[in-house]
Amino acid sequence: MQAVVERVLNLLIYLLESTRPVTAEDVRSTVLGYDAKTDDAFHRMFERDKDVLRRLGVPLKMEALDAWEIDYGYTVDPDEYAIPDPGLTHEERVALSLAARMVRLGGSHAGLDALIKLGGIERSAGLEPMGADLGAEAETLGSLFAAITERRSITFTYRASDRRIEPYGMAHKRGHWYVVGRSQEGERLYRVDRIESLEVAEESGTFEKPAEFDVRSIMDVQPWETGGAPEVEAKVRFEPDVAWWAARTLRMDEPSGELEAVVPVANKDAFIGWILSFGESAEVLGPEELREEIRSRVAEALKGVA
Amino acid sequence: MTSARTVSRLSRILALIPYVLERRVAEVDDVLDRFDYTRDQLTRDLNTVFVCGLPGYGPGDLMEAYIDEDDVIIDAADYFTNAPRLSPTEALGLLAAGMTVIGMGEASPALESAVSKLANVAIPDAETALTVDLVDESQNVSRLRDAAAAHRLVRIIYRSVGKEEMTEREIEPWAVFATLGRWYVMGYCRLAEDERTFRVDRIREMNVGTEEFSPPARIPEPVVGYTASADDVVCVIDLYPKAYWVLEYYPVEVIENAQKKTRIRFSAPDPELPARLLLRLGEHARLVKGPEVAARVQQRGEDLLGTYR
Repeated sequence: MQAVVERVLNLLIYLLESTRPVTAEDVRSTVLGYDAKTDDAFHRMFERDKDVLRRLGVPLKMEALDAWEIDYGYTVDPDEYAIPDPGLTHEERVALSLAARMVRLGGSHAGLDALIKLGGIERSAGLEPMGADLGAEAETLGSLFAAITERRSITFTYRASDRRIEPYGMAHKRGHWYVVGRSQEGERLYRVDRIESLEVAEESGTFEKPAEFDVRSIMDVQPWETGGAPEVEAKVRFEPDVAWWAARTLRMDEPSGELEAVVPVANKDAFIGWILSFGESAEVLGPEELREEIRSRVAEALKGVA
Repeated sequence: MTSARTVSRLSRILALIPYVLERRVAEVDDVLDRFDYTRDQLTRDLNTVFVCGLPGYGPGDLMEAYIDEDDVIIDAADYFTNAPRLSPTEALGLLAAGMTVIGMGEASPALESAVSKLANVAIPDAETALTVDLVDESQNVSRLRDAAAAHRLVRIIYRSVGKEEMTEREIEPWAVFATLGRWYVMGYCRLAEDERTFRVDRIREMNVGTEEFSPPARIPEPVVGYTASADDVVCVIDLYPKAYWVLEYYPVEVIENAQKKTRIRFSAPDPELPARLLLRLGEHARLVKGPEVAARVQQRGEDLLGTYR
């Protein structure tokens, strides 16, 4: 690790100080740590180190050195390299430091790494007894975030089929991360942990996000509110032992006794599943078609244990 | 692939240099705190900086970096006047952390302005493109947090997972945390006379008492998810594709995994949980083994058919 750290520091200094694009050969003959290696070993090492630079947030660019695009050189523009100053006050830095200590992203403290680049973590008084983990693999989330901000389309495999979407936004909801974007079939959302073989397009700025797009309005729904089926209005009664709990999910005032509610349902399957999770303590009063579906669902389950 | 540790070590060095350069001299203690360094790590990184620099790599080409009594000194490193920009993962990590805390209704105005300043430099239209929803519908999270911070005993009325029974308990809250999209409070339960983790959304009522408790010196890592115990009810279930979501929502053991059918072993403290699950899955699942569960499905199913006649 020590050798890599020294070599990458020297490489970065060389790139920042060069006034012209530098070739791989320039690096090999000039920068400390790259000498006396076979061609193969050099190229592997150089590729790895370029990857480290990118992960550090260094804007490494490749430029053709001739009109025929045969030779390429690398540049790092010092102005682009420099972190833009968000102009945080001391109080704002303290508040962010506390939030970053509390919230982890898939086990990584990416927020604290960010604060270190912004000039360090501010100490806070006492131990904070509250914490949150937002799950999911931090690197994948980072790639999706970059694709969204830079307007790059992405391709991936999802439930065994290939997708290509223009990503508009991302959200954490019910313990999962989702990416929302336009596919050939229209606006869709995908669970990030089910995304495989993610590729982000080289080209940036290839699409416009619709002005009316708002990820919050897409995510702020219950499972039975999604899906294309026509809506029915279900009338449900919850017994006092579960009424308070159902009211929280439905975002209604908590009743002291039982609760009768009218719930718009798009996805009957999800809705029936939710109602049956209350056992005997919830009853769908209507419409009859929902009651019929519950009867057949329960009858099927009974067949299985007969 | 180079390890994440190497990248984060480099990242810290590239942030440290501009911080010290801007001040010319920085106090060692301040640097240790701010950059989360031990003294040994700081010394090692300064020694690394000291041997790097411009091609030629002679004494005049290298950076200067050392500790002089209580001060960190770095010089001859003008190319590192600024830290590198945030990587997408870092920008997302910090924004999401801020948004999470704001979403909990715990935020100071300073946090709200900090998040909007960050969004300005990291992502256009952050408000409509990124959201973190860890909503606490019970509105108990911040009260539990305050009770944990003040070491106050809390009395709760709690609906248990699985048995679905209401119990009244006195708990000593040690930590409040969110994982997998849910809020939990962890601490010592005087009813169970043991450590317990409770789901905050299942707390019907809570009262913060005046009695203070002494928390353990070290709070154990919270365990979320279910750990099977010896007196658990165990059953075997075949799931068909439309019921595969169960694999992600319950801590089940997969016995056989095929495209059209997956056989699982399901453990629960009580037959109620698997029975309710089977009832809601209907034709998308079959119980293979588990007589107590079969009996409970039978009983609950007949009750339901009575209700929906």
